[in-house]
Amino acid sequence: MLETFNFRVILEYMPLYLQCFAATLWLSALSLLGAILVGIIACAMRLSQSRIISRIAGVYIESIRSTPLLAQLYFFYFGLPSLGLMLPEWVTGIIALTLNSGAYYAEIIRAGIQAIPYGQIEAGIASGLSYFQRMRYIILPQALGMTIRPMLGQAIVLVKDSSLLSLISIAELTRAGQLLTSDRFMPAEGFLTTAVFYLIIYYMLKGFSSWSEKRLIFREAH
Amino acid sequence: MWGFYFTELMHSLPFFLKGLWMTVAVSGLSLIVGTIIGFIWGIMRASGNKILRSIIGAWVDLIRGTPFLVQVFIIFFILPSAGIELEAFPAAVIALTNLAACFICEIVAGGILAVPSGQREAATASGLSAYQQLRYIVLPQAMRTIMPPLVGQYVLLVKDSSVVSAIGVVDITRVGWLTVQRIPEGLMVFGLVGILYFVICYPLINLSNLLERRMTVVSTRL
Amino acid sequence: MKKGKVFTILVSLAIFFSFLGIASAGTLDEIAQRGELRIAVQTQGAPFSFVDRNGKRTGSSIELCELIAKEMGVKIKFLNYDWDGLIPALLSKKADMLAADMTPTLKRAMKIAFTEPYMYTGSVVFVKQDSPIKSLEDVKKSGTKLAVLLGSTGENDAKKAFPEAELKTYKGGGPLLINAVLGGHTDAGVNDGSAVTGQSASFPPNSIRILEGQLSRSPLAFAVRYDSPDLLSWLNLFFLHVSLDGRLEENLNYWVNSLDWKKDH
Repeated sequence: MLETFNFRVILEYMPLYLQCFAATLWLSALSLLGAILVGIIACAMRLSQSRIISRIAGVYIESIRSTPLLAQLYFFYFGLPSLGLMLPEWVTGIIALTLNSGAYYAEIIRAGIQAIPYGQIEAGIASGLSYFQRMRYIILPQALGMTIRPMLGQAIVLVKDSSLLSLISIAELTRAGQLLTSDRFMPAEGFLTTAVFYLIIYYMLKGFSSWSEKRLIFREAH
Repeated sequence: MWGFYFTELMHSLPFFLKGLWMTVAVSGLSLIVGTIIGFIWGIMRASGNKILRSIIGAWVDLIRGTPFLVQVFIIFFILPSAGIELEAFPAAVIALTNLAACFICEIVAGGILAVPSGQREAATASGLSAYQQLRYIVLPQAMRTIMPPLVGQYVLLVKDSSVVSAIGVVDITRVGWLTVQRIPEGLMVFGLVGILYFVICYPLINLSNLLERRMTVVSTRL
Repeated sequence: MKKGKVFTILVSLAIFFSFLGIASAGTLDEIAQRGELRIAVQTQGAPFSFVDRNGKRTGSSIELCELIAKEMGVKIKFLNYDWDGLIPALLSKKADMLAADMTPTLKRAMKIAFTEPYMYTGSVVFVKQDSPIKSLEDVKKSGTKLAVLLGSTGENDAKKAFPEAELKTYKGGGPLLINAVLGGHTDAGVNDGSAVTGQSASFPPNSIRILEGQLSRSPLAFAVRYDSPDLLSWLNLFFLHVSLDGRLEENLNYWVNSLDWKKDH
């Protein structure tokens, strides 16, 4: 299959690849922001004093983690319309990715928060800081800083998971490779090029995370 | 309409259970071997010499940064041209084992590096050999950081195993796709697929939570 | 630190491209020696290739393949992939031939060799039973949403016939298109006529309505690699024989031109 590897055809499909690359980038970026937000909220609920709120978050996190994204995507795509809610594909896709990764982010952030010595939180309460002030000034900066690596890991998972969106007819990176494969019957060209683009995103994310890690450590030191 | 499909779906249940067994077989084998390899790589990555470290690092980056589907395709379709002919099942197990090893390698290396360096220095000062340090000082402490995310990773890998259906392994996801051809109610068919994954993953998630509770002393409440 | 990272990236790329290798050939003799014909199929849905309610793989293409193996005097092995895996399976010699309801386009024929077509079909447009769309003319309106299958003839036909329409490309088989139309995700679907008829049979009766008129007339063919000219000419001879002795017609009448198969599967 590789002895006839055709670079020219890849160039021919490059505009499509770039367009789909851009789609993967913005779909993942929006979902990533959403997921971190959902993660913070779900985590705050999970660690809440109230048993009920904590339980609700627990059910959300565990049911998402123990079912495949494919099933969740189908739930949103075919399930929501039967409830009378008809959303564009990309919105459905972002919702599914956000809620999926949100559950993982909740767990990652929780691990980060639980690594903060509890005395600090108690000190915050004692100094009369409100719940949101404690979150904003004590907990989140440390928890987010400590968990950059696992957060990066989940971001990469999210980017790769976004390939499932091609199932609900969204044109993203994986779809570009599939198009090349099915138009020209050149699977090696199609899939390896797709892989190179994913690898580019991976190194972008990795670079960003080590940059922010350094910045956070630097800030802490001063 | 749902009743109409539901009876049909119940008729296919044995087929789904066969798929469930296949998922358990592929992911079970891969997780066992992948954990062993992952620990070896992780220990080398955290300590070994510089060249070994960057080779493992590059391999892990490559595997984490590219879609699993492409890796499966390379092993199944491209290795034969180098004289390595594999059936679908062993190819799937090899691909998933490698993926598992790469993720576990990162978790293990992270856990080892999180052990305060003073511990290691003290061990060296007490005249412990490198092996003894690892066996008695570093690993026991690192295990506390490693165990919870390790089991969490297992859950992700079980779900990733669905990708191997692309090369003809009839796992749960594949059974879902085959069934949806005949019982065209995606929501219901993939709902059942989701439930079957839940059956495998939920106990694992509970195990991970249990391990985490046993390894952390304080329970943080915000 | 910086240098280390560049090195890491270079090593990754080197490993990546070191998979580029070299290979050899496969023929009818090989099949005869092996005693087994390996055929790559996908499970795109009735009536061509699907898994019936007893979990058995069957359909028009599948029965033709069984006939091929019988005439060759060898056993048959079906390798089941999805669309993505089909072409790699043939090119990497996992499979001797490819049996899917695949349109032999000229672009595709640059890579693999197609047999003489064994049947002709055409794309049709279908809508929900109560849809306001009455004719192909109505579909031409701009903004009409059409569901098509990735890489199918329907996709190409829809692009040509309805340049103003908005195409939504799905994967995973024809029934999902019907689902997308019934679920209101698209206004209409475009797919192979015999597939639509066959697949609508598993939905509640009268869920969809097929608009009058075909968008195209296109051949369906099996495929082999260009390095198996012997197998290719054998298959062409096979199709000649079965169309002369009526076995092809029997197959198509049972599976494609009627819903007779519904009773048995």
